[in-house]
Amino acid sequence: MRAVVYAVIAVIGIVLPGHAFADDAQAPEMSADRPVMCLRDASDQVWRIQCDPRTKVCLYAPNEELDSTGGRVKPLERARTCELDAPFDRAGMEKQGFTFIAGRVDAPYGWMRDERQRVFQVNFDLRRRLYFGVAYTPQKVIDNPLESTRTSVDFGLFVFDYLQGGRTPTRHRIRLFEGQVHMQPFSAEVVMAHYDISHRFMDPLLRITTFVGTPARHDLVLDLGMWSEVGSLELHKTPMGNSQLWRHATAQVTLDLWQSANLDSFARLRTGLGFEGQRDDVNGYRSAVTESSAFDIDWVLDPAGFHNVRFELLHEIPRYFTPTATTGRYVQRFKAGLQYEAIILAINDQPITLKLAGSGEKRNDLPGVPDKWSFILDAGLRFNLWAPPRSRS
Amino acid sequence: MGAAKVALVGAALAILTSRARAEECTGVSRLGQRFATCFDLGNRLSVTAGSEGFGLAIGLRHEITFEDDPDLEWKMEHRLVDGGYSLLDDRFTGTFYRGRYLRHSRDGHIVIPLGTPKKVFLPFDIGALFEVGKLDFQRMQPSFQIGVVRVAPVVDFARALNYRRVFAIGPSMHWDMDVDRSFKAVTEQTVAPFTEGLVTMRLESSDGLYSAEARAEAGTAWHSDRGWHPEARAEATLERIVLAIRDRPVAITAGVQYDSARAETLARIGARFVVFDRPDPRVSLHPPQVAPPAPPAPVMPPVPTPLPPPELPTDVHTPDAEPAPDAGRVIDGEHALAFILAV
Repeated sequence: MRAVVYAVIAVIGIVLPGHAFADDAQAPEMSADRPVMCLRDASDQVWRIQCDPRTKVCLYAPNEELDSTGGRVKPLERARTCELDAPFDRAGMEKQGFTFIAGRVDAPYGWMRDERQRVFQVNFDLRRRLYFGVAYTPQKVIDNPLESTRTSVDFGLFVFDYLQGGRTPTRHRIRLFEGQVHMQPFSAEVVMAHYDISHRFMDPLLRITTFVGTPARHDLVLDLGMWSEVGSLELHKTPMGNSQLWRHATAQVTLDLWQSANLDSFARLRTGLGFEGQRDDVNGYRSAVTESSAFDIDWVLDPAGFHNVRFELLHEIPRYFTPTATTGRYVQRFKAGLQYEAIILAINDQPITLKLAGSGEKRNDLPGVPDKWSFILDAGLRFNLWAPPRSRS
Repeated sequence: MGAAKVALVGAALAILTSRARAEECTGVSRLGQRFATCFDLGNRLSVTAGSEGFGLAIGLRHEITFEDDPDLEWKMEHRLVDGGYSLLDDRFTGTFYRGRYLRHSRDGHIVIPLGTPKKVFLPFDIGALFEVGKLDFQRMQPSFQIGVVRVAPVVDFARALNYRRVFAIGPSMHWDMDVDRSFKAVTEQTVAPFTEGLVTMRLESSDGLYSAEARAEAGTAWHSDRGWHPEARAEATLERIVLAIRDRPVAITAGVQYDSARAETLARIGARFVVFDRPDPRVSLHPPQVAPPAPPAPVMPPVPTPLPPPELPTDVHTPDAEPAPDAGRVIDGEHALAFILAV
């Protein structure tokens, strides 16, 4: 039964947005790139008219929003100004072969209008938002397949990407107070502040010229960037008590293997060092310098920002200043996660997204937790605030 | 003189209209000194002293508007370092950050992306509450509580243009933990994954002299040591500004707080002193200065226009004659006739 429910939710999330903008049933929309006129009719009602001399078609639409009965109720939202009462010879234009068709007033990029000229957002930047969500999280541990199911919540107080354009663009990514909490058994992660940048270099770091045959130039472009986090807390409930892991600060160098045009999607490697402190009921508190490396993919699949995929493969090697009773001086943590997020609904232009995620973990730093891979699946909904339209790429 | 009259009348009109506008929130004493009668309750740093102890809070309010959609506005309310210390209990409670964000639009709606997207009208604004870093520390207790995060998406039925009215409800999520002071370890986690409901209300008079705020939460929360349990919390606060010192308001506050998890009900009363605040924009403490009429321009004597030189006859030829022997001499009246005849 649950599988059916998930399948239905997945269909809603995946299929509906794909069909969201089938425009076939809609009246044609005026072009935002061509001029539009506002004309007053005999009953003093104002209409917007836009004529295309190439197709000999004039689209007209009321200059107000309509109610369900077709009555004019209020001014248009997000409509550009138009020249009022400009000279217009309809009879003459009809003699020239122009036809007049009812249409929709144009809307700004990222927005559209319905037949009643009401505007709404259809393009969302999920890299600029505040979000919180809840998910159902069945868990399967390889050595204990009967582990109980559980629920999780996640949140992000401030998710903000900023693109500095130009010939060598840079994308700044800021995340404040982002995390998630799993229950039964309990685990939680929260990051106070995160900042990373992606940069595209114009000049190659190395250019190699080969002289075998026709001389040829081969550029080696290294799109280097930076990744950092401050104040990360990870909590685990283990068979031998509670564990707290404070990653005080982590700094890494990134190498983007692939970047989209506006840098909002990428595949990258990153590596660096961090300073952490860990406390559990068996070993007490201990500090470590941690070498960490990761491979990340962050991919916006469609121009409207409805489908988003994230992948992370993380490897950490903390080196404790003093060895503990259950671990040596070195331990290892592996983590892999794949997440798909799709917009399924918007309330007052604030999107609700479906999140499907799977992650696995293998570590030997937690007393009582076997050094084996364990996997978690998440399926849930997120409520997002802000999420303005994506900038044109 | 006419221009001076016009200037005086204009200045008088300007004073009268500004007074009419300022009268709403500006009082004038018998000596003509002005004082504020309206206060901005959202942008201030205040100190509270009361039956429980001392408190401090920083409040900020601002709007986010959009040029291309004047009917849309985000009303952002922030409270930073909202805390208090109770002398009786030797107890500190505080919240590092508390935000309430409400998206006010003239046209509330829901978009259903089913086939052709459809827009369904909804009679409410939407928004969210967000709290980070709540601390409850009591010296006599072996553990203290940290509220890591509390969020709630809300729908606001008040749909007010300003901050004075809020009536919002929504599901609430929170994650709290108990920390043992001796072991410096987390002993209990409490999580409510949107399994609680939240109601928040605010009423504020237009002059800011009266305000009331209430919030209630109820539902079930999961505790790491004892599973799911019902819990409820509620708090209400009244504030009445009774005087102002140098236009900084001083208010009487009263509040009540209930927490089922702690099985405690607290009532408090106190006085709140505003240390810094943003003056209400409707207050005009400084009357507009009347510029004195411009002094009349000094009267200058008329400058005589020089007469054009007489035109020379063009057909008269001046021969290159030798200079007359008398040229350069002063001719007196006696010799004038003889001179003319000779020429």
